[in-house]
Amino acid sequence: MNEMHYRFPPAAAYPLNRCLYALKSDDAFRARFLADAKAAMAEHGLDADAQAALLAADRDALVARGAHPYLVFMADLRVRMARGTGTFEYF
Amino acid sequence: MLVGAFACAHTPQLIARPASEDRELVLRVHAAFARVRRRLAMLRPDAIAVVAGDHVEAFFLDAVPALAVYAGAEAAGAFGPYRYRFPVHEPLARAVVEQGIERGFDLLYTQGAPLDYAFFVPLHFTMPEPAVPILPLHVNVYLPPQPTPRRCHAWGQALGQILGARPERVVLMASGGMSHYPGTDRYASPDFDWDRRILDTLRDGRGAELAALTGEELDKAGNVELRTWITVLGAVGAAKAELYCYEPSWHHGNAVVEWAV
Repeated sequence: MNEMHYRFPPAAAYPLNRCLYALKSDDAFRARFLADAKAAMAEHGLDADAQAALLAADRDALVARGAHPYLVFMADLRVRMARGTGTFEYF
Repeated sequence: MLVGAFACAHTPQLIARPASEDRELVLRVHAAFARVRRRLAMLRPDAIAVVAGDHVEAFFLDAVPALAVYAGAEAAGAFGPYRYRFPVHEPLARAVVEQGIERGFDLLYTQGAPLDYAFFVPLHFTMPEPAVPILPLHVNVYLPPQPTPRRCHAWGQALGQILGARPERVVLMASGGMSHYPGTDRYASPDFDWDRRILDTLRDGRGAELAALTGEELDKAGNVELRTWITVLGAVGAAKAELYCYEPSWHHGNAVVEWAV
């Protein structure tokens, strides 16, 4: 139970974290992901396992691969907002 | 001079509310924000210095500053459908960078990094009319290793001295907290008891005690963002906190606080 919730991001996970960051913060990349997720993920050089985890929005698998939990959380929220799958009340 | 100090929650569900969120709770937090807005109108600040934890927006893994100052002419960003832009109080920003470095804080400064929603959400609800310039002050809260609470408190003490010697009327506003664990398997189990103990400490004017917390304790309590509050606590000293609201949702301890300075 001494595992920290937010850990030093392993260098090997840089492409995955870069892809999550782009999903969170880059509107154009998010649009490309929504149109063709595999092609978009290939831009960041994600391997097959990382692609599968991201396509399944499998948080635990992504975090186990070194993804930063906050990036997983907000990338998923921004994709859902962009898809319009949830309803949001904007203030 | 420092004329006011606040801490505000900024969770995105307060501005973009999904069906999962209790609308009445969200509106109660908005009411606390409205109270801050009225107080800001009374305090007539020349600038609002917002201390916030960047959500890996301005700074990705390409460069991770512990402490940073936004020293551009204006700061802009986007979140969902929101596009926002604020004038920055440039003389104040420059003074904070120059004097902060002089005092031994190796600050990063930026004149163009995107402004995260951690800055935007509280300002969206609390900016008085007419609007005043801001000074964005970054504290790394999400990318380990983060600055220690003791370092954040020391930076806040220096900030208090720097701002206190300035001619402008400045309000400090911490953005963030309290307990929440975004992206982790503890998301639905915040540590509200921990939050309430901290709030009791702050109401007693014993905020300096928070400088002795460790990074591990903050992480365990879902309070990595409390570093922004601890920074402001360095500036307000033994001032007692007035609690505007503490609204625990299913995933977040939403607090709004004022320190009379």
